[in-house]
Amino acid sequence: MLPQSLVKEALGIALSTGADYAEVFAEHTNQKAIQMVSTKVDKIEDAVIAGVGIRVFQGTRCVSGSTSSLERGAILACARRVADALGTGSAAIANVVLRERRFGDIHPVKIVPVSVENAYKVDFLKEACQTAKDYHQDISQVTGSFLDVDHNILVANSEGLFAEDRQIRTRIAVSAIASKNGENQTGSCSPGARVGMELFELFPPKEVGLEAARQAITMINAGYIDAGVMPVAIENAFGGVIFHEACGHALEASCVALGQSVFAGKLGQQIANEKVNAIDDGSIPNAWGSINIDDEGTPGRKNVLIENGILKSYMVDKLNGRRMGMAPTGNSRRQSYAYEPTSRMTNTFIAAGNDEDKDIIASIENGLYAKKMGGGSVNPLTGQFNFSVAEGYIIKNGEIKEAVRGASLIGKGSDILMNIDMVGKNLERGQGMCGASSGSIPTDVGQPLIRVSSITVGGR
Amino acid sequence: MNYQEFKQAVIAAAAEKEVKDYELYYSESAETQTEIFKTEVKGFATGSNLGVCLKCLVNGKMGYASTEHLSEEEAVSLVERALENAKSIESDEQAFIHTKGDTYAVIEKEEVKLPTAAEVIDFALDLQKQIYATDNRVVDGTQAYAGFVESKTALYNSNGLDLEDSAAFSFTYGMAVVAEGEEMYDGMEVSSGKFESFDIEKIAKEAVKDAVDTIGAESVPSGKYPVVFSNKVMASMLSTYSSVFSAEAAQKGLSLLKGKEGEKIAADIVTLTDDPMRADALVKATFDDEGVATYKKNVIEGGQFVTLLHNLKTAAVAGVKTTGNGHKASYASNVGIRPYSFYINPVKGTLDDLMAEAGNGIYVTSVEGMHAGANPITGDFSLAASGFCITDGKKGKPVKSITVSGNFFTLLKEIASVGEDLKFNPFALGSSRCGSPSVLIKEMTIAGK
Repeated sequence: MLPQSLVKEALGIALSTGADYAEVFAEHTNQKAIQMVSTKVDKIEDAVIAGVGIRVFQGTRCVSGSTSSLERGAILACARRVADALGTGSAAIANVVLRERRFGDIHPVKIVPVSVENAYKVDFLKEACQTAKDYHQDISQVTGSFLDVDHNILVANSEGLFAEDRQIRTRIAVSAIASKNGENQTGSCSPGARVGMELFELFPPKEVGLEAARQAITMINAGYIDAGVMPVAIENAFGGVIFHEACGHALEASCVALGQSVFAGKLGQQIANEKVNAIDDGSIPNAWGSINIDDEGTPGRKNVLIENGILKSYMVDKLNGRRMGMAPTGNSRRQSYAYEPTSRMTNTFIAAGNDEDKDIIASIENGLYAKKMGGGSVNPLTGQFNFSVAEGYIIKNGEIKEAVRGASLIGKGSDILMNIDMVGKNLERGQGMCGASSGSIPTDVGQPLIRVSSITVGGR
Repeated sequence: MNYQEFKQAVIAAAAEKEVKDYELYYSESAETQTEIFKTEVKGFATGSNLGVCLKCLVNGKMGYASTEHLSEEEAVSLVERALENAKSIESDEQAFIHTKGDTYAVIEKEEVKLPTAAEVIDFALDLQKQIYATDNRVVDGTQAYAGFVESKTALYNSNGLDLEDSAAFSFTYGMAVVAEGEEMYDGMEVSSGKFESFDIEKIAKEAVKDAVDTIGAESVPSGKYPVVFSNKVMASMLSTYSSVFSAEAAQKGLSLLKGKEGEKIAADIVTLTDDPMRADALVKATFDDEGVATYKKNVIEGGQFVTLLHNLKTAAVAGVKTTGNGHKASYASNVGIRPYSFYINPVKGTLDDLMAEAGNGIYVTSVEGMHAGANPITGDFSLAASGFCITDGKKGKPVKSITVSGNFFTLLKEIASVGEDLKFNPFALGSSRCGSPSVLIKEMTIAGK
């Protein structure tokens, strides 16, 4: 993407006012999103994102800059701007020795999306939307999208690293709306992976459309749940969003290093029920949240966060690692060159346990079965969270009964971790886009069916 | 290659490919920001970003392509990509490129004096110091930020439109963390606009107050209560649901307001206005992202639904004139719809008056989880909230860990009173922002203990 000599020159300038570390991140990305309304292509967004982000550290102080250009003049000017903002000293221009490193690619891609014409992608998307539309007469509208991203990065730093990576990912999403008696309800399905056009083999478009429509129809016929405190069984895959939001964010070094996490200073302590094992693994082949190297050039890897309820590790980037005296864990990520990278999740999930699904449901006398979770958010400082339940059912006397809408789960991350007292065997992952200070990045959430012994359910 | 050179290269490439109808949209922004942690500069960042989006009209269908990489080759590729995309569009609606001839409002631009990097850093350091000095319960984790933004957009098309606009402003915020016993509480205060107008003492005081006020908060029993939404909370509800007023959402069957023009959709007391050039807005828009002249209008008047917000395409489908609300979410986006300064008009009464009217209920000052717990298609919401009890008409003890739920369309009808304290969401730094006075809602469902 950029010649080594130019990168070396930029690093030298960046280091020239007293920094002890400098980093150049360059990017060239092709990104296309085809959007369908009903069964017709309605919009296409087709973007080339290109630019450079430069950071320097002096101890735990960081200065960064970015420019939307891959041209020599702009890159060197950006390096100069960053150096000038760090200090006024005029240290000699450092001679950085770069060594190219190749970390390989554990995410093979069969068909590169950018080489495929629109019509081919449209056909698959149309099949998904048509299936959803035909599912039931109460389906009043269907929207769909197909996204493909070809993200090429270069990371180099004053420690001598020079590495490049190509990250290709695709995602199909269908949202169905059911209407009845002047009311709307929605259902959605949006699988994605670090793969090319073979996504449609992994997730047949028909099944994606069916799932979205089934959910919308279920919910339009559902009543509202009464609010209260109750036990909840949360289904696998996207159900893991609860761990992601309520605990995962508080285990990111960006939060821990500043003392803004309830889990700061608790390594080695019991923070969860002993049934809970939690993992962040950026090295799962072809998984949506996977990486070869993170955006600081550290290889992705499997990190055990919680083992039998004991806190084992945080997710650490270089800068916050300096503040915490810890090594980076392959979790430093950024949406693009325009964002500063920081510690983020990759594929984060609660590992499989030993309980049978049927025993989990049977153990609940009066409660909620959250089959599909919606999104959620959390205040990392207080740990307070709120998740919507996209598809929920009443559990009565150990049996799943009627569907209910409008449910949300409210609580505190540290409490809920202690309250996960049954963990099933069938681990699945689900895909999401996670937003934080370093932008929006692809992450997987995941878990088997779990039971939370007590949680506040908002209803109406 | 700079934008002017790139623009000429695109014009040449379009001529080469015999593309007759097209429009170029250019956006450029430079942002500087610093962040203080403990007593030191934790971070300092400067970014200068730009992007160009081309749209081509082929047989009534619009194809878009964008780039940040300005070169000869990219200019040719941009035209080719936009053309392929135009040919793939299947929706029946006709798309348009605007023609010159509109009369644009002339706003007298105030000279904005932006601070230097050193001034920004000194200010943020002082703010941080002030937050710590405000209350001895303030602990590390507290952060102060300050920065400034300069932006420029330009629109050029084959129908002779050639428009340009720019904006510049500063911003600052303090995030206070206070500890009491084992628990930590956070509070925030934001200011934006002219750098010289920022009041360090006031920002620090409000941020700390925001945190301290919540100390000792507890949940309340689940049930139905009269609820006062603070101006900030109501503004953020309006922002989450602003898409229901979009004609695009309505025409696609994604808004329950479809075909409801002329009907009563809110309490008599509610008038909702969209104003592109409100005097107190940081960024004023005299033209929208399609080059159409903007104007002020009521969307709800005395409870009656007057109009959806339109762009050129939705207006043609509905057989009306565009309301000048064409909007690109980023330079790379297709044109959609959004409001400008979008607000419920103040009526009368202070917050205290609203609480007196409520009698016994809940005063909600903060809601979280908007993106997940609120659905514009159904109108349903279920949001984690905190605030205060209203006891015998007065603000009582703090409340947390509750969920307030309902439906936005029902809420509009259930508004009993609208106060006089109109406030806009301070985090909305662009030309689109929502505002509201505090409102009293007859009854809402609260989930607590």
